[in-house]
Amino acid sequence: MKRALAISALLVVATLLLVPGASLYYESGGGKGCTRCHEMQTLYDQWHTSSHRGIACEKCHGGALTMDAAFHWNNATRVYSHLRGDPPERLGFGNRYVQTMVEQCKDCHRQEHAAWQTGPHGATYARIFLDKPHNTKNMLIDDCLRCHGMHFEGGIGALVAPVNRTGPWRLTRTELAAMPAMPCLTCHEMHREGPPLKKISLEGSVPGPSQEVTRPSLALFDRRAQQYIPVADLPMPAMLEGTRAVKTSPDRRQALCYQCHAPLATMQVGSGDDRTGLGVHEGISCLACHAQHGEQTRASCANCHPKMSNCGLDVEKMDTTFASTRSKHNVHWVKCQDCHRAGVPKKKLT
Amino acid sequence: MPPGQWKRRTFLSAGVAAAVSCRSGPHGPNWRFFTNEEGRTVDAVCECLIPEDRDPGARQAGVVDYIDIQLTKALKKHQRAYRQGIAMVDATARKRFGKSFADLDSGQQADVLDDVEQNAKPFFQLILAHTQQGFYGDPRHGGNRNRASWKMLGLPYPQIRGRQRYDG
Repeated sequence: MKRALAISALLVVATLLLVPGASLYYESGGGKGCTRCHEMQTLYDQWHTSSHRGIACEKCHGGALTMDAAFHWNNATRVYSHLRGDPPERLGFGNRYVQTMVEQCKDCHRQEHAAWQTGPHGATYARIFLDKPHNTKNMLIDDCLRCHGMHFEGGIGALVAPVNRTGPWRLTRTELAAMPAMPCLTCHEMHREGPPLKKISLEGSVPGPSQEVTRPSLALFDRRAQQYIPVADLPMPAMLEGTRAVKTSPDRRQALCYQCHAPLATMQVGSGDDRTGLGVHEGISCLACHAQHGEQTRASCANCHPKMSNCGLDVEKMDTTFASTRSKHNVHWVKCQDCHRAGVPKKKLT
Repeated sequence: MPPGQWKRRTFLSAGVAAAVSCRSGPHGPNWRFFTNEEGRTVDAVCECLIPEDRDPGARQAGVVDYIDIQLTKALKKHQRAYRQGIAMVDATARKRFGKSFADLDSGQQADVLDDVEQNAKPFFQLILAHTQQGFYGDPRHGGNRNRASWKMLGLPYPQIRGRQRYDG
């Protein structure tokens, strides 16, 4: 009896240590060991040439010595499916891990994290999906998850209940309430090929044409395909004002903005969620006024309209939605003629 | 042999077997179903069916990855047909040109595939259909790498899709 108990205990301990032991073995190979399960080879190759190549696997994917039982369970189920010869069609990154990744990103990108967290893109699941004014006017649909909570496994019905316009609404997964609905991995792919980020020289010199505009990691997580589309491959819309073709900035980063702040099929400026610049702001990139992570526009006018400019106008105080959200003149589309209906006066030279 | 000792040995053997099977299966290191040689042959057949021109062909689009993955998923029932079909393609290549199919030049490959089309039509049609699926289908299923065929056709992806806003 004693012997049987001892053997059982030994088996239990061995089983418990098997998974972290295996994880430790794979980690010790610097990621190469992971590729022995052939379905990981592509992911390993991509990481090896990515801007995050200097970051070890366990930094983002969890370490062998973690006490997180879910991590070990996840690894164990993957080994099981591998041994059974039935690995998944694609290896994905679960929503739970996407959320924990935000903290890992913060370790190196503190400034970006702080700006994102305090900006509109740092909104939580509760803020997005339990918004009463929105939900009473618009039925929640699966397509909401294209731009919000895109890593969530399941449809809208598995996230919010009830799916109707009367509410009251609640998240079926309460642990998501305070989590970001648009985390870092919405717009950044960690394994995307590219050089590591370099610090700008201490002298503050501007490299000019060689200066990087787009980080290689910039890509859209396409929920339907469960993969990232690099910003260079994303389409840029041909915007229209009536039948007139609207001039848009060649800044490719906008292709990412357009995926969610998208016009309707008519491609008319201002339709749907579109905010393409028109009037005095035609041809200006979204990012000329909206800083990448915080989307803050405060004082952004000064980038192009310095107080010492020759027009002599304090544009921040003009009658637009920038000065007051009650203004009839949306700052995205405002034209001189909107106020000067009798004709635009000549510039005041000071 | 005492039963206890036999069990320990079985346990250890099972552990070693599991470890070995994790390191190398019957398939090659980068394949789920194919052996290395089979993978090369299927890749060459697909490329012969949709060759690269100014646009990527089946090889660049990773069509063989689609077939390899799906032969362990939705196309499982065709495993035997592929094993036999690939062997037949290689046998035909060796008989006619003394080399495996993947080592022939494109003209010789086309000749071999003509033979296959004549003499093994069901397999030819099967691999042709799967090549088309892997080339034009959704990349999430393993093929159409980097949306190669969609770019060739000028299909914007993902489409820009706005929504009606309640607040205008």
